[in-house]
Order: sequence, then C-alpha cells, then structure tokens
Amino acid sequence: MKILVPVKRVADPDNANKVKVSGDGTKVTSDGLEWKMNPFDEWSLEAALRLTENGSSKDRVGEVVLVSIGPKDAVQTIRQGLAMGAERGILVESDDDSLDSHVVAQVIAAIAAEEKPDVIFFGKQSADGDSNVAGTKLAEMLDWPLVNYAMAISTDDEGKSFTVKRELDVGQQTLKVQSPCVFTSSDRILQPESVKNGVTPADFAYPESEGGRYASLKGIMKAKKKPVDEKSLADLGVEAKRVNEYVKFDLPPARSGSTTFVESVEELVQKLHSDAKVL
Amino acid sequence: MNPLIDDRLAELLFRSLRLGDLADLPAFADHDPETFRLYVDACRKVGRQVLWPTYPTTDAEPPTLQDGRVTLHPETLRGFEHVRELGVIAATRPEAVGGQQLPLAVATLAHAYLMAGNLSTAGLAWLTTGAAHLIEAFGEDALKATFLAPMMSGRWTGTMALTEPHAGSSLGDLTTSATDAGDGSYRIRGAKIFISGGDHDASENVVHLVLARIEGAPDGVKGISLFAVPQRRPAAFGPNAADGPLEPNDVHVAGLIHKIGWRALPSLALSFGDEDDCRGWLIGAPHRGLPQMFQMMNEARIGVGVTAAATASVAYHEALAYARDRTQGRALGAKGGDQVAIIEHPDVRRMLLRMKAIVDGSLALSVATARFSDLAANGPEAERDRAHAILDLLTPITKSFPAEFGYEANVLAVQIHGGYGYSSEYVPEALLRDQKLNSIHEGTTQIQALDLLGRKVVAGGGAALRALNETIEAAIADARKASVDEAIIAPLEAALGEVGKLTMELGMKGAGGDLDGMLGHGVDYLTLFSIVVIAWQHLCLATTARSEDSDFHRGLVQSARYWAATELPRVALLAERCRVDRSYLELDPSWL
Repeated sequence: MKILVPVKRVADPDNANKVKVSGDGTKVTSDGLEWKMNPFDEWSLEAALRLTENGSSKDRVGEVVLVSIGPKDAVQTIRQGLAMGAERGILVESDDDSLDSHVVAQVIAAIAAEEKPDVIFFGKQSADGDSNVAGTKLAEMLDWPLVNYAMAISTDDEGKSFTVKRELDVGQQTLKVQSPCVFTSSDRILQPESVKNGVTPADFAYPESEGGRYASLKGIMKAKKKPVDEKSLADLGVEAKRVNEYVKFDLPPARSGSTTFVESVEELVQKLHSDAKVL
Repeated sequence: MNPLIDDRLAELLFRSLRLGDLADLPAFADHDPETFRLYVDACRKVGRQVLWPTYPTTDAEPPTLQDGRVTLHPETLRGFEHVRELGVIAATRPEAVGGQQLPLAVATLAHAYLMAGNLSTAGLAWLTTGAAHLIEAFGEDALKATFLAPMMSGRWTGTMALTEPHAGSSLGDLTTSATDAGDGSYRIRGAKIFISGGDHDASENVVHLVLARIEGAPDGVKGISLFAVPQRRPAAFGPNAADGPLEPNDVHVAGLIHKIGWRALPSLALSFGDEDDCRGWLIGAPHRGLPQMFQMMNEARIGVGVTAAATASVAYHEALAYARDRTQGRALGAKGGDQVAIIEHPDVRRMLLRMKAIVDGSLALSVATARFSDLAANGPEAERDRAHAILDLLTPITKSFPAEFGYEANVLAVQIHGGYGYSSEYVPEALLRDQKLNSIHEGTTQIQALDLLGRKVVAGGGAALRALNETIEAAIADARKASVDEAIIAPLEAALGEVGKLTMELGMKGAGGDLDGMLGHGVDYLTLFSIVVIAWQHLCLATTARSEDSDFHRGLVQSARYWAATELPRVALLAERCRVDRSYLELDPSWL
C-alpha cells in the first residue's frame, strides 16, 4: 500500500501571537516565525503510518511518501515526518506567497500522476489558512473518491478498498471506497483502535494520543539517510497561478485580559448578560 | 501552558555554543545540526505533552510498597515508556552498544525538557544511562554482552548503590562485603540506602551498581570495588540473557523512603544477601571501584546541574505567567484606578529578573560544561587535555550552582505566588521540594567545594585555572569587539582577577599546613567562583544577543547587567570572608 501524505509547515499555533500582517495588510509575514508541521497533517500522517505497518512488531509493510511545497527550509517538515517513520519525501520548491489551495491541489495531482499512490491522505485543513479546500479540490481534479473527516479506517485487502467511518454532527456514517482515493481525517483517527490494516494483530491498541507519534533518536538518524527529491513547479508542469486574491488580513483584536471573580452562578449569568452582552 | 524551558534560549545556546559545529568532529560524523535540532524538538514535545501533564499527579501519589515490591504510578509507567522509546538512555553512547553517539552537549540541552517535564520519570532513564555507562567502560566482554543491550533499550534499568546507612559522603567507610564464589561471581552481603529506582515495575529487571569491599581488601577508599548486582540474575550470560529465564538474586527491599521531592521515583533501603545467595559480578579491577566511579562523575554531575536548571526554569515560567495575570494593588503613588498585574510592581520584576538570571546562567553553564566534556573525549587531539582540565574545574560548579541558586529561584516562585504559592494546589511548592535534592545527591555542595578548592584548582600547579582564565579572557575580548556594555565586562574582569589572587593565597595557606584556613570557607569560595563563571556565561549570551533586536535579546542583556551589578560585587566580599573570617573554625561545638 502506498500513501501520499502532503505536509504543510505552519506557524507554531502555540505562538500564534507572533504572526504579523504586512504593512499593506495583504499578506501574513513569515519573518521570525517558528514552524511546525500542520497538526491536522500530523493526524493524517499518523493514520497513514498505522495503515502501512504492523503496529505490534513495528515492521513496515507499505510506503508513506511525504510531499511539502514551500521554500528550501520546508524540508525540515519533511525530515520530521521521515523521523516519525515515513519512507521518503518530495519537496516542491515555491515561495509561500505564490500558493493557494488551487496551486497546492494541482501540484499534488501532478505528483499523484507520477507516484500512483493508493491513497492521498490530506489534513482536513491547515492550522493557518483554515480553508479546508485543498483535499476536496484535489479529489475533484483527479476524479477520485473523497472521504473527509475519517474517524476510522480499515482495509483487509492491502489497500485496494477501505471501509471508512466519518464523523458527522448528527452521528456517524460508514462507507466503502475503492482506491485510489483521497482521505482527510478527524482527530478521532488517533484513537487506539481507529486504524485496522489486516496486518496489525486485531487485538492491538495504540496508546492514547493527541497527535502523531514522537520521533525517536533512532528514527531521526534513519531519516537522515532517507531520500528527499526536490522538484520545481515547472518540473511538474504547474503554473503558480492563484485563483484566490487575498484582499486583506486583520489580526484579532487584543484581549483586554481582565478577570472578574463572581460569587454565584446567578451573578455569572447576570454579568454575561449585562456586562459582556453575550447572552 | 508552561514552556518548561524557553525555546528561544535553547536556540540561542545552540548558536552561542556552536553546537552544530560538533557534527564536524569525526566522532559525531553521522550527525548534522538538523539531527541535533530534531532530537531537541522530540524531547521538547515529550517533555511538554507527555511528562509535564503527569507531574502534579505523580508528585501527589507516590509509589507504593507491598509484599516487597514497588508499584509506580501508572502515569509514571506511561511517561517512562515514551522516554524509553525516544532513545534517551543510549543517546550519547556509541552505535556498537545500541546508542546514537549524540554529543553530550546536545543531549544535555534536549534532556533539560524531559527533566523539566517530570524529573522522576526522566530520572529513571538518567540513572540507567549512568549505570550502563560504567559497565560499558570497565566491564568484561561477557558482562557487556549480558547487561548492555537490555539496559540501553530500557528493558532493564539501573541504579547506583553507593550509600549505606552509616556511609554517605564518606564512602571509604562502607562495609558491604564481596566474597569470591569461585565461579566468576562474588557473594554480596550488606545494606544500602537511598537507592533511587531500586525496585519498580517499569522494567523487567534492575541492575544495581554496588560498591563493596572484597574480603581482605585494604581499608578506606583504596579497598572498594564495583559490582553489577542484578535484582534477578540471568540463568545464562550472553547476548540473549534478557530473553532467557531470570532467577531471584537475594536482593530485597527493606523499606521505601518517604521523601519531600522526586516523589514519583522510589528511593529504597535495600538489603543484599540475606540468604547468602546474592551474586555480583566485578566491574573492572579489584579495589578500583571509586576511581572508576569518579571517571563517570563529571557526566553524572552535569546531569544534576541541568536537572536543577530545569527545575528552576519551570518555576520561573510558572511565576512569570502568574505575575502577568494576577492583578493586585496599584502603582506606587497612584490613587484609585484599576488594579495592575503584579509584574508592574518593581520588586516582583526584581524577583523575576533574579530568577531569569539564575535559570539562564544555569542552563548555559550546564550545556557549556557538557560541551567541554565532548571536546575532552572527542575533540581534536591537541585540544583534549585543555578541555579536560576546564571540564574538571567547571564540574563542581555546574553541579552546585544550579542546585543552590536554583533553590533560591524556586523559593522566589513561591514568593511571587503569595499565599497561593504556599498551597499545594499550585505547582511551585512541589518544584521547591524537588530542587532540594540537587544540592545533596551525587556529592553534596560541601563535597563540591572540597573538590574545587582542595583538588581541581590546585591540580597541575593551577593549570586548569589558567586554561579557564584564558577562555574567559577570550570571551571578554569578543565582547569588547562586539561593543557589549562595559558595565557588564569590567566587573567580570575585576572579579576574575580576585579569584586568581585568592586562590593563590588559599593555596599558600594549604601548602603551609593550615588546611582549615585554606578549606574552611570552601563553600564561600565555591560560591564566589560560581558567580564569576555565571557572569562569564551571561557575557557570552549577551554578546550573541546584542546584535539582535527583540524583547528576548534585550532581556538577556538585562540579565547580564543585573548579574554584573548585584552579584559580581559580592565576589570581593566573599573573598575577604575566605581570608579573614574564622568564626566557625574557632567555634567550639559545646558552645552551641
């Protein structure tokens, strides 16, 4: 089973207050930001790794290929994924400003044509842009089935077909898809028994976790020797032509930071109503 | 969310200590700066996301002893599993024994996050590294084949079983005995106390590194040997020993110590050989136990230093967040108006700046000393002796400054929290309790003082002190070139001169037979020397930081100014005390 996982670097969400808007308000500046793998991509990477390993023996039984689009140092995000266990990476060089969901989907479609993966596993959205578009757009371009917000995935034929559970506001939906297909994930994909691949023993449970697995020192050293191909947009025949024009970015208003202590629930409700005016 | 360690400081240390350059040394050729950073990042994540959330619970609910076995808190087990999988135990060891040959400096920086997250859990790994390293360095091949692989992977853990109820700092007086059993092993008999990680359910076996006296050995420190004494002994030795059956080895838990800190890590009284069936295997040469142990001591003591730095750092960040958030009172002279955050009050900022200066200086010193350890072992041939001399000199300071001054920082964290700080609902009091151990274990502060003044500064006719002086003078020259504020540089220069002068005078006293006069104020000497060394660390940070224009960098320069203005002037005062004060030397115990 071969799974393509696009991984995006985003400004560290724990330090979101460092994000600044350019003087003319049309872009977010990336100076001095600390980068992290988009946490939603990390969930999908974790699910992809679980689909392609024997969870009990840790033997790899499939291939996970990471793709990142960005400047040269975005390779660090790929290395991080390789250290977690992915097999190899592809860096498509581009400056951040010339990208939008449309360009990203085109790039991944072009790579899919070369790599012919069984699954492309996107994060449901990126933690910075929050657009929630690229995965859907890609499935449309490729004319592949799409399952968004997967919370459980199982296969018993090495990835030729999947039974996928989706999380909906009103409950759960179970569907069957044939590969090749596009997935995005919900956080429940990280639950101990959400991924079944027919190789990992049926009674095996992953540890409770709120994100992807942690890289080990051994994994980090191995990652150093794993190949990362570098490509340009031109290599892939993609023109960096955005369909979105960003008109204006605004930072959220500064928080007032004052704390009021109340004595009773009644007083709280009253204050929420009369002072905060949220009720 | 408490960051545990300031990432910006970690990054700055990476640059100012040129940790990336270590990858250019042949020993670390498999690495590059990126693998270093990725490992720091992995430890940072496990420290913050896995270990730190377990800290309050595991502190509040210590391990239990039942039917002679110790049970750890489930959260400790879960945390240790992550630490094990990270590869912490073998990180700095060579590939041949299952490690990844990471420089100690990088490991020290990375592991600061783990120690900060939960020092008891990370401590279990740290103890195992130390024990396994002794077997690696001095054990015969059969012992290495049997013990190393399971210890390096954390299937088995290790302890240091030195202390006996009547012999702590005075190891020469220990009485645990070893009798040749005629089959390559020794029968061990005796009692040990304060053995951290001496029994628990996080690993399949515990290997105690026991100091004992072979029958007929000379008295005192020259008759002590080192043994590997597994809690359960393998039926057959060799590479697959851990997979084969294990038999009881007559090692028994005699009691669980109730302690004030490091509460998630069990500290035990152990008895060996109650039924005369406890077997130990000699590590290295007979009677060479202590010198062998001391060859590993620098590493262990740097470990204490960084743990103390980490414990103070967590408290600093806790206090900083609290001071920004807690509103109380108004600016001096203000009439009415809203209350202000307590960080607006000058004395709260004084406390925070003091804590920051202690924390940053401690962390910088720990990593810097570890770097000298890397250079001493793996640096260019021509630099090794010099690096070794400086390493030896800095080790007692790295062991004791973060512990002693870090404790003060931990006290200030409680103070800033006011009444809440005195409550166990808030975390500073737990960190305060944890910190206290660091001035006691692995050689008390008093032992460090004797080591520094009685041994290190006088060794080789003062060669180490000269080497350190040259290093600090070079840093001063760099700082001047970079136009660092003279108010930071000049007091350091003066204090450095004072240290040299005082050392000479005390050395003369010692040479003249007045050992009390030389060593009686050893701890004061250690303190004043530490103040100078930390000022040097602040100078290096300020030199690297001054070209950058950010609040963080301005903060570093301000810490350096603070240290130069408030601590360096104490050097002359403490030096004078070393020279003239005889109050407690002449104190008759009966007067108390």
